[in-house]
Amino acid sequence: MEKPIPIGTTVVMERTGETMEEMYVNMGPQHPSTHGVLRLMLKLDGEYIIDCIPYIGYLHRCHEKIGENRNYTQIIPYTDRLDYLASMSMNFGYVLAVERLMGQKIPERAEYMRVILAELQRIASHLIWLGTFGLDLGNFTIFMYCFREREMVLDLFESVTGQRLNYSFYRIGGMPMDFPDTFLTDCQAFLAWFKPRLPEYDAIMTDNILFQKRVQGVGISPPQVAVEYGLSGPMLRACGIKWDLRRNEPYSIYDRFEFDIPVFDTCDVWARYMVRRREMEESVKIVEQALAQLPPGEVMAKMPKTIKPPAGQIYSRAESPRGEIGFYIVSDGSPKPYRYKVRSPAYVNLSALPEMLKGCLVADCVAVLGSVDIVLGEVDR
Amino acid sequence: MTPEEILEQLKQKFGDAITESEVKGVEVRLTVKPEQSWEVCRLVRDIGFEYLNCISGADWMTHLEVVYDLSSLQHPNKAHLRVPVDRDNPVVRTVTDIWRGANWHERECYDLFGVRFDGHPDLRRILLPEDWAGYPLRKDYTDERLVPYTDYGMEEKVAKAEGEKAAPKEARSLQPPTPTKPATA
Amino acid sequence: MMIFATLVERFYAALAAWGIPWIVPTLVVMVIVVSVVLAYISVAAMFMIWWERKISAHIQVRYGPMRVGGWHGWAQSIADGIKLLLKEDLIPTGADKVVFVLAPMVVFGATVAAYVTIPWAPGLIVRDLNIGILYMVSISSLVVVGIIMAGWSSNNKYATLGALRSAAQAVSYEVPLVLSLLGPVMIAGTMSMGKLVEAQSGRWFGVLPGWFVFPQIVAFLTYFTCALAECNRLPFDIPEAESELVAGFHVEYSGMRFAMFFLAEYANMFVVSAIATTLFLGGWHGPWIPLPGLPREVAHGLFGLVWFQVKCYFLIFVMMWLRWTLARLRVDQLMGFAWKVLLPISFANLIVTGLVLILGKHALLYVGGIAILLLVAILLAARPAARTVRVGERT
Repeated sequence: MEKPIPIGTTVVMERTGETMEEMYVNMGPQHPSTHGVLRLMLKLDGEYIIDCIPYIGYLHRCHEKIGENRNYTQIIPYTDRLDYLASMSMNFGYVLAVERLMGQKIPERAEYMRVILAELQRIASHLIWLGTFGLDLGNFTIFMYCFREREMVLDLFESVTGQRLNYSFYRIGGMPMDFPDTFLTDCQAFLAWFKPRLPEYDAIMTDNILFQKRVQGVGISPPQVAVEYGLSGPMLRACGIKWDLRRNEPYSIYDRFEFDIPVFDTCDVWARYMVRRREMEESVKIVEQALAQLPPGEVMAKMPKTIKPPAGQIYSRAESPRGEIGFYIVSDGSPKPYRYKVRSPAYVNLSALPEMLKGCLVADCVAVLGSVDIVLGEVDR
Repeated sequence: MTPEEILEQLKQKFGDAITESEVKGVEVRLTVKPEQSWEVCRLVRDIGFEYLNCISGADWMTHLEVVYDLSSLQHPNKAHLRVPVDRDNPVVRTVTDIWRGANWHERECYDLFGVRFDGHPDLRRILLPEDWAGYPLRKDYTDERLVPYTDYGMEEKVAKAEGEKAAPKEARSLQPPTPTKPATA
Repeated sequence: MMIFATLVERFYAALAAWGIPWIVPTLVVMVIVVSVVLAYISVAAMFMIWWERKISAHIQVRYGPMRVGGWHGWAQSIADGIKLLLKEDLIPTGADKVVFVLAPMVVFGATVAAYVTIPWAPGLIVRDLNIGILYMVSISSLVVVGIIMAGWSSNNKYATLGALRSAAQAVSYEVPLVLSLLGPVMIAGTMSMGKLVEAQSGRWFGVLPGWFVFPQIVAFLTYFTCALAECNRLPFDIPEAESELVAGFHVEYSGMRFAMFFLAEYANMFVVSAIATTLFLGGWHGPWIPLPGLPREVAHGLFGLVWFQVKCYFLIFVMMWLRWTLARLRVDQLMGFAWKVLLPISFANLIVTGLVLILGKHALLYVGGIAILLLVAILLAARPAARTVRVGERT
C-alpha cells in the first residue's frame, strides 16, 4: 500500500510539473468560444488563470507560399480567405499594396466604391463580433439581432458582387464593375434601417448592468503594453491611443470624410466593446457621405494585361475592422511576387492575450478572448 | 524629425554596421549587419519608433534576410530594417526585449525560414506542427503537393517547344496533386 | 378534490371486504399516482422545451421549430425525445461507470420526488405532509448531489469545474432561498403545502387577493432570484455555461442520459415555480364559477387546477424571458450576490415579518413602509457604484 501523503505537502506532478493546486485546462481547438480552432492551455488555480499558452496554426493554409506561386491578380481571391468576416477589407489592403508598389492611380469612382464597400464590411464585421461576444457572455438574443442586420449587408454585397462571403471584388487598378442600379437606394434604405437599431443593441447590451459588470475592469492591457505588443485597431484605441490609419495615414480617399475616431481609455473589455460599438456609427457616417459624393465615371484604370510591378519592396498597411492589415511585398519585376507576407492584425492582437489574461477568472477568459476579436483564418493564414 | 535626420543620427552611431541606406518618402531603409542588429534596433526604438509593425523574412538564395518594419504613433516616419543572415547558420539576436510583440513574429520567421533568434524566450514552431521538417518559405523547399506557378497561355507554348508529350503534363500542374503511387491501369 | 380521497377510501374498503391484504390496494394506488405524476412531468417538460424554443425564437426575431407535427412544430420535443432515445449509449473510457450511470437518475429522482407535495387543486395532492415545504426544499437540493456525481465521474476537467461551481452555487443560494420561504410560513403558521394555500384564501384590505406576495414581496423576489440559481438558469447558469465550460457537468453525457438531465432541468423549473405559486401567489385560488352539471366541489377543483397551472407557467415564462434577455454572471459575482445582497435582504425580511406578526396587523402599514424604505436604502448602499458610461459620452 502507498504511504498516505501528509496534509499540507505540495505535490508536484512528475510529467507536467503541475502542483496539486494547479490544473491545466485545454481550451480548444474544439470549444464553443474560441471562435474557430484556437487552442489555449490554461493553467488554473481554482477558477483563476495563472498562465495561458495559445497554440495556433490549425488553420494554416500556406497563404504566403501560395502567394509566391501565383501572379498578382490571382492572389486576390486568396486574400478573401484571410479574414473571411471582412473580405472586402482584406482585398482593399492587398490591392492598395500592389497599387502603391506600382504607383498606380485609380479612377475616382472606384475609390468611392472601395470606401463604401469597406465601411459596410466594417459594419458587418463588427456586427458579427458583437453577436458572438454576446454569445460568449451568455446573451443569446443580441446574436440574432446582429445577424439580422449583417444579413442585410450581405444582401447588399450580393447585389454588387454576386457573392456573400468571399467577394474578390477589388482589382488592381480599380473595380471590375460598377454598382448595380438598385444599390444606392438599397444602401440608403439599409442605413436608414440600421441607425435606429444601434440603440436597440444598447438596450440589451450596453445599458445592461449584468453585462457591464462582466466587462468592466477585465482583461486590462495598459497603453504601454499595447504599444509594445503592437496592438492595433480597436484594441489600441481602447487603450486611449487615438490611432487609426484612416485618419493618421489616410489612404484611398479617407481624408475627404468627416468621422470621429472613438477612443476609450479604460483599457478593458468594456473599452473595446465601446470602441467597436461606436465605430459602427462612424462607418455609417462615412458611407452616407461617400454615397452623397459618389462621382460618375469609369471604375477601372487602364491596366496592362499582366501586372508586373517594378522591382522593389513595400510594406503597405490599411485599417481593417480588426486593426492594421499589412502586406509586405517584394517584387522582382516578374508577374508573381518574390516574397509576399501578411501582417495580420488578429495575429498580433492575439499574441498579447496571455498578458491580458493573467489573474482573470475562467469566465473572463472568454470575455477577453471575445474582445480581441480574432478570426483564425487570418491568424493562421 | 525628418527621415534624413534620423538616418544621419543612426549613421553617426553605427556607421560600420549600416551597409546600405536609403530614404524613400517618409521611410528610412537600412541594411544592417546581423552582429549589431540588436543595438541598431534599440537605438531606432529610442529615436521614437516604438511600434513594431512586422518582422518578416525573405530568402535571397545567397542569404536569408530578416526584415523589420517599424513605425511610430507620434510622427509619420517609418523605418525598414533589413538584416542579412547566413543561409546555413541563420542566427540573429532577438528583439523581444525591445518590442514584446516581436515574440510571435520571430517565432513565425523561425517556423517558415529557419532563422534562429538568439535569446528568444520561447522559440518553437508556431503555424506548422512541431514535427514539421524543413522551412517552407525558403525558395529551395520542395513539396510534391506544391502547385507551381503557371503563366496563362504558357501551356501551348511549352507544348510546342517540348513536343506532344509535355502538353498534358503542364496542364495537369494546375490540378490537385497526383498520387505518388502509379495508378494501376 | 375530496372526491379522490373518497374514491381511494372506497377502493380500500372494497378490497378489505374481499379479504385482500392492505398492501395490495396501497401498491395499486401508489403505482397509479406515480404513473400519473411521471406522465405529467414528461408531458409538461416536453411542452416547456417546445415553449422555450418558441419564446426564445420570438424574442430573437425568428420562428423556432415550425415543421415537425404541423402547427408551429408542436411535435418537435417528441421527435427530439425519440432521437435521443435511439442514440448510442456512450460512457467515456475513463469515467467511473457506476456513478456516471447513477448521476442522471439521482437528479431526475430528486426532482420527481419533489412533486409529492405539490398542491395541484383543493384536496388534490399526493401527500399533504405537515412539513411539506421543508420536504420539498430539501429533496430538491438533492439535485446537486447528482450534479456533483455527474461532474466528478465524467473524468473531464470541464465537467469537474462545472460540478464544483454547481456545488458552490447551490450551497450559497440555498440559504437565502430557505430564509425567504420562512416569511409566508411564519404568517401562515404551518409548513403543510395545503394549509399554506388555504391560509391565502382571504383578502388584504378587502381588495387584493389574500396572496402572501403582497406582504412578502421582498421575500418573493429573493426567492425567485434564488430559484433561478437553483435551476441553473441564466443569468445563474454558470455550472453549465456553454461558452466557458462547453456544457459543464453534463459535457460527457449523450442520448437518454443527457435527456434525463434535460428533463430534470425543466421539471425542476416547474417545482420551483410551484413552490412560489403555493407560498406567494395563492396556489389554486382564483375566481371560479360553478359549472352546470358538475358538483360544486369538482368545479372548484377544476378551476383550482387551471389557476395553479396558469400561475406556474407564468413564472416559468418569466424565467425563460430572463434567460433570453440577460447575460451570464461571473462566478465570483454570483457568490457575492448571494452572500452580500440576498442573504441580508432575506434576514431583514424575516425580522420585519416577525415584528409585524407580533405587533399585529395594524402595525403592518407603518412597519412595512419603513422596512421597505430601509431595504431600499440597504440595497442602494450595498450596491457597488457601477461606472456607467452612456453611448455618445466621450471619455
